[in-house]
Amino acid sequence: MQNRFAMPSLATAAVALLCTVSASTAESAYEVPKTPDGVPDYNGIWQAMGSAHWDLEDHNARQGGAPILGALGAIPAGRSVVEGGTIPYQDWALAQREENRANWVKLDPAVKCYMPGIPRGTYMPFPFQFVQSKDAILVAYEFTSSSRVIHLNRPGSEAELESWMGYSLGSFDGDTLVVDVTAQVPDTWFDSSGNFHSDELRVVERYTRTGENTMNYQATIEDPNVFTRPWKISMPLYRRIEPGARILEFKCVEFAEYATYGDYYTEEEPTEE
Amino acid sequence: MTTSLKTCFAIATALVAAPSALAEDEAPKTSWGVPDLTGTWDFATITPFNRPERFQGREYLTEEEYTGWNDGARRGREQRDLAPSRPAPETPTQGDVDVGYNSFFIDSGKHLSPGRRTSIVVDPPNGRTPGNTMAARMRYAEMREKWEHPPRTPADRPPATRCLVGFNAGPPMSSGAYNNLVRIFQAPGHVGILNEMINDHRVIATDGGEHMPENVRFWKGDSHGRWEGDTFVVETRNFRPETNFRGSGPNMHLTERFTRIDADTLRYEYTVDDPEMFQGKWSTEQDWVRTDSDIYEYACHEGNRSLLMQMRAAKQQYDAGNAVRDETWLPTWYKWMPRKADLLAQQAGEE
Repeated sequence: MQNRFAMPSLATAAVALLCTVSASTAESAYEVPKTPDGVPDYNGIWQAMGSAHWDLEDHNARQGGAPILGALGAIPAGRSVVEGGTIPYQDWALAQREENRANWVKLDPAVKCYMPGIPRGTYMPFPFQFVQSKDAILVAYEFTSSSRVIHLNRPGSEAELESWMGYSLGSFDGDTLVVDVTAQVPDTWFDSSGNFHSDELRVVERYTRTGENTMNYQATIEDPNVFTRPWKISMPLYRRIEPGARILEFKCVEFAEYATYGDYYTEEEPTEE
Repeated sequence: MTTSLKTCFAIATALVAAPSALAEDEAPKTSWGVPDLTGTWDFATITPFNRPERFQGREYLTEEEYTGWNDGARRGREQRDLAPSRPAPETPTQGDVDVGYNSFFIDSGKHLSPGRRTSIVVDPPNGRTPGNTMAARMRYAEMREKWEHPPRTPADRPPATRCLVGFNAGPPMSSGAYNNLVRIFQAPGHVGILNEMINDHRVIATDGGEHMPENVRFWKGDSHGRWEGDTFVVETRNFRPETNFRGSGPNMHLTERFTRIDADTLRYEYTVDDPEMFQGKWSTEQDWVRTDSDIYEYACHEGNRSLLMQMRAAKQQYDAGNAVRDETWLPTWYKWMPRKADLLAQQAGEE
């Protein structure tokens, strides 16, 4: 009996070992191409898949904010992208998150077409493009035509002003592009489920190419006002490879005007002079 | 002349000569061998768009005129900066409200374009844009009618008021009241253009490619690029129906040309080809100046209190039964727009 049990567990261990070896071999086997300036090449059009933009944590499918859209307006189920499953909120902040969640249609800044901030911009269901110059990378997002500049040549500098997309300092850790994002306004959310932060937010992003058309995205999120400790999210990003792929225009302001100013709409007509 | 005076002159001459020696540097190239357009560029300028009467028949300013004009503009600015603020008028006008910027906020250019041109428009040879067609003037009259409404929805306001487009980011880019900085990024195969004005960006492929079908239209148009020698040429068409640059329409065919002249100068030229809206093609030339300034985030829509207040005010008028369509709601900077009745009368008179 003992033998019969021992054999499979040995085999399992061997398989696990093989898998570990082959996985790490596969990762190290991919040689990240270099730009003509000699640094790891992150150029291209990239996009996340999944439903992290709805909710970072494990979630059921549920009714969306526009029931008139039926099945197409509903929110799909999704697995957590948070390491350990849940976000380590302080007690008051968890209560705030629940309140945000209950009123998300009214409160979610992305509903109003406001710039999504970082990390949310990365996993909105829209592509973004890295245009990698020698001194800086332009990140051109399709969602609300937002953008940010990742500075590669000014380590240790600080933002002069806070902004919706933050102040991004980039560097390379081996082949990984590391981006330290500070000085974001407190008005953005992480998803449509009320997950939020304060103006003390710091996000350290790690983009690691794992193949010609894939990379791993990891972000460490730190905000001593809201969380009990730093926490991490990670997900793969995929290259848009279809012919003619490009960043198109999604200037959502005109689609969000009713959500923003709808209280003041009228169907009346003015008197003619 | 004493030796010490001679030395002074020599130093002074060297100081004056230094900038032009720098300017004669060769235009830099990227590490993959194409002209390097990267950097932050300032396209604010005091060079007149259309050639003023007094320069009729002259394409260029003399060196003296150029220096004198720049100096005069600087002195004027200094005087304005020192002058006490205008006291609030007893009877304020609309302009005190909707264009009530002070000189701190306005950043519409401190220098002439270094090419010493007498105008931004270089073709037709008289340096002036051809007139708008009757169709373009009718389109303006329709805009006037719409924007005279107390807004029923934001669609009754101009696109720039709604933060859908910037008033100077184009394309084409053209010096305006503020936010005249643009940063260019380059990677093999792509050029990225980031405008400070409402953070607009274009990522343009350098291998041409086909334009979108006619039914697909963008606020910033559909841009495709290619290298012609050392010049990056961008063709843009498929504009949205609401887009308007000096009267241009949705079928404008815009050709922009970017040429790095030297370390500190990028020459920007464009041609507007829109026979529906202009009585002829026209072209411009402006030299952009490199700057160390950063591009700051201009969160136009996120901070748009103006539109919120306009919507609220109009709703109060409708609720009180005193909403009237007249000139009041037409922005100060659009009062010149023609009225449809006048255009129709003019047309009838011509027939």
